[in-house]
Amino acid sequence: MSLPSDYTNEIAALNREILKRPSGDILQTCFNFFARRLESQRAEFLLSQRHSSQPGMAESNFPGNNPFGATSTAPNQQPAMHSVAEEEEHDFQSPTASSFPPNVRGDASPGTVHASPNSNSTPGGTFGNFGFGPASSNRTNPPASVTAGAMAQQDSFPNNYNMNRRTSVSAESLAPASADDANWKAPSFPKTQDQINRLREAVSHNFLFSHLDDEQSAQVLGALQERKVPAKDVRVIVQGDAGDYFYVVESGNFDIYLSKTGKVESGPEGLGEKVASSGPGTSFGELALMYNAPRAATVVSTEPSILWQLDRITFRRILMDSAFQRRRMYESFLEEVPLLSSLTPYERSKIADALETVKYPAGSLIIREGDPGDKFYILESGEAEAVKRGREDKPLKTYKPGDYFGELALLDDKPRAASVRGKTEVKVATLGKDGFQRLLGPVESIMRRDDPRKLERSPDPLR
Amino acid sequence: MAPAVVQNIASRFHRMSQSAADKDYSAREEEKQKLADWEANKKPLEPEEIHVDPQKKPVGHSSKVLRKEDFELIKTLGTGTFARVWLTKLANRKNGENNNKVFALKILRKVDVIRLKQVEHVRNERNVLAAVAGHPFITTMVASFQDTETLYMLLDYCPGGEVFSYLRRARRFNEPTSQFYAAEIVLILEFLHEQEGVAYRDLKPENILIDAEGHLKLVDFGFAKKIDNRETYTLCGTPEYLAPEVIRNTGHGTAVDWWAFGILIYEFLVGQPPFWDQNPMKIYEQIVEGKVRYPSAMSKDARDIIGGLCTVDVTKRLGNIKGGAGTVKKHPWFKNINWDELYHRKMQGPIVPHLKAPDDTRNFDEYDAEPQQKEPYTKEMQEKYDRMFADF
Ligand SMILES: Nc1ncnc2c1ncn2[C@@H]1O[C@H](COP(=O)(O)OP(=O)(O)OP(=O)(O)O)[C@@H](O)[C@H]1O
Ligand SMILES: [Mg+2]
Repeated sequence: MSLPSDYTNEIAALNREILKRPSGDILQTCFNFFARRLESQRAEFLLSQRHSSQPGMAESNFPGNNPFGATSTAPNQQPAMHSVAEEEEHDFQSPTASSFPPNVRGDASPGTVHASPNSNSTPGGTFGNFGFGPASSNRTNPPASVTAGAMAQQDSFPNNYNMNRRTSVSAESLAPASADDANWKAPSFPKTQDQINRLREAVSHNFLFSHLDDEQSAQVLGALQERKVPAKDVRVIVQGDAGDYFYVVESGNFDIYLSKTGKVESGPEGLGEKVASSGPGTSFGELALMYNAPRAATVVSTEPSILWQLDRITFRRILMDSAFQRRRMYESFLEEVPLLSSLTPYERSKIADALETVKYPAGSLIIREGDPGDKFYILESGEAEAVKRGREDKPLKTYKPGDYFGELALLDDKPRAASVRGKTEVKVATLGKDGFQRLLGPVESIMRRDDPRKLERSPDPLR
Repeated sequence: MAPAVVQNIASRFHRMSQSAADKDYSAREEEKQKLADWEANKKPLEPEEIHVDPQKKPVGHSSKVLRKEDFELIKTLGTGTFARVWLTKLANRKNGENNNKVFALKILRKVDVIRLKQVEHVRNERNVLAAVAGHPFITTMVASFQDTETLYMLLDYCPGGEVFSYLRRARRFNEPTSQFYAAEIVLILEFLHEQEGVAYRDLKPENILIDAEGHLKLVDFGFAKKIDNRETYTLCGTPEYLAPEVIRNTGHGTAVDWWAFGILIYEFLVGQPPFWDQNPMKIYEQIVEGKVRYPSAMSKDARDIIGGLCTVDVTKRLGNIKGGAGTVKKHPWFKNINWDELYHRKMQGPIVPHLKAPDDTRNFDEYDAEPQQKEPYTKEMQEKYDRMFADF
């Protein structure tokens, strides 16, 4: 007769334990091992019991032995978390919850959400990929910050969290300057200044657009394409369909419907309930600018209308190309700075990450003579010159794009020996000493890597 | 030619192909024996042993001899967007002694990979898994192989199931449990970033499994990518865990894993991630803003480490600043961790699964059977794509 398999399994685990931690006192080791196993097995059993009888009421302490202490399970070691557990009983909405009903969670692929045996909510966020622009019904909610403040005081957390397994999302693979489309240029559709202003205003409340710089913003607005909706009852977006475009309403009106099943059903009620409408200056469908997720609602025209549309690939491509070009430009500028010539490509790209763009109008003072030096600058565009007080007519040096100045501030904070003034409007990329040190440590140690005399040879007229 | 000669040649031919088949058979048996031997010990490698050509390591090679018939599929352990992972045994072993040797076999159909535009991701997955095979806290890809229609990755079976299931059942982990798991993750990220130049990009409790001894194993390298010192742009991950720079598409690197790591610690301690809304766009808006709210009772050290990791500005983010993972390890929240003992699996994990046998699957959910209707992998697709899978 052979031994039971769970017995051999335990013995194998014991053997591993003995091998790993040889001990003089074999009996004690075996005793400890089995005591621990028994305790942890009982605890696990209790946990599963409790769970199945009272879903959602599990303990804040995970049973099992304490990984760090000599003593094992220490219940209530964590009074810290108890207040949260109590507050969970109240059903708070997320502080920034949208106007959608609870349990309509946006999941990228509703079909692949698995019901886990320990989840007590219904499986499946089936809706996603939908967002209202500023003027839609969403706006009637109290401002998020007010709610959030109140919530923080009560120290409560939203309890309507979807407890299911979460699916991954991914967008089309984007690689800068890939061989097939190295000469890609964002499409640009002509618009009147009026239209541009209206569009800018319409997207200004949307966080995806509010971080763009002027150039990106101009490209994105240019890429918005007019789309005429000739009649009423045209479905611009159908719930459950793949998400591709983001829309801004130029004129006309749209109704928004939500079907509880996650997709449009047949029959007169098939669109579901009307939840909002969307007029000029509003926008919808912005999740499509992130990745392809099924649409969360259906949008139907109520009269002949005009939309502006933008697809995901164009949008993300614009962002990527400008970020990519900026990084490469910074890296090549940094390569020219002798003080930093021993940086590895990896370190250079980290510094490029940290450079901040600042714009100055023509004639402004970028560095003031006598101020403590704390930053270093690379001139991105425009022209600047270094001047000494009292000798403003005789500049010490003129700077062109790609030139750098003030780099000795990375070494110490001695006062600046001259001023730098923009001759034209200028754009600089700048980095402070603290930022540099945070990323790579003291500049001295980096320079010492190859040539300790570099310090003296530095051509900085600001010294 | 005399008939006798013809016959002679024919029989020589016969003998030759016979011996080729024999050779093939014995090569397969030899390889299966190696798999069984590896399974018996599952000895993790030292860092310097991992960093060698995968074809020369005991694990992680692309096998030209293994076939589907060498494995007996027992039960589905999990399904992803297009993969199905099976508990599997070595099939038709002559001697019974290896019959308790089990593995997980991840099976992907080439048609699905192509249809979902994941060819690049799947190649990255195999190559990264091969490069890192042997790490104590990453699921070991013992071997990979393919046939006309399908890709296979043979993985070590992690019988404890997903950390996700334990976390949801417990609602939240206490601080020592969270610290222990978080610490093992730090070792994984340190290794991936600093030894391999790899960004993992999908950290979450669903992708962290518990092995037979109670240690973690990271699975699902579908989004892992070797990036070295260039940034990358393709958006991927899981909504609640996406880093701000991924959402804004300004280029991202290994720093995204440190962000996600902060979210993970928060979810361990609180039971749900810090940024959440029914509407995913609202999640992203919160992430880009980056204001984390902590339960008043959360310890100071825990807040401090989460705050450091979930810093929107990558040049200030813990893990990405000077010192890399080393700075994370020195954080006071980890003061109880002996990092060297941890790497050598000498610290005891808080959950050690109770198993009846090595092939026990009690910690896994039940999954529906595989759909019968399958899209065929056509000749045209084969011609167009098969070279992409050549080194699988
Ligand atoms: N080595 C393993 N041992 C046990 N179970 C495993 C193993 N690898 C994977 N699984 C199970 O199978 C599930 C799916 O695996 P995996 O995440 O690798 O597939 P995927 O298709 O890439 O998934 P996703 O949709 O998340 O990208 C896992 O969540 C896990 O439960
Ligand atoms: Mg997965």
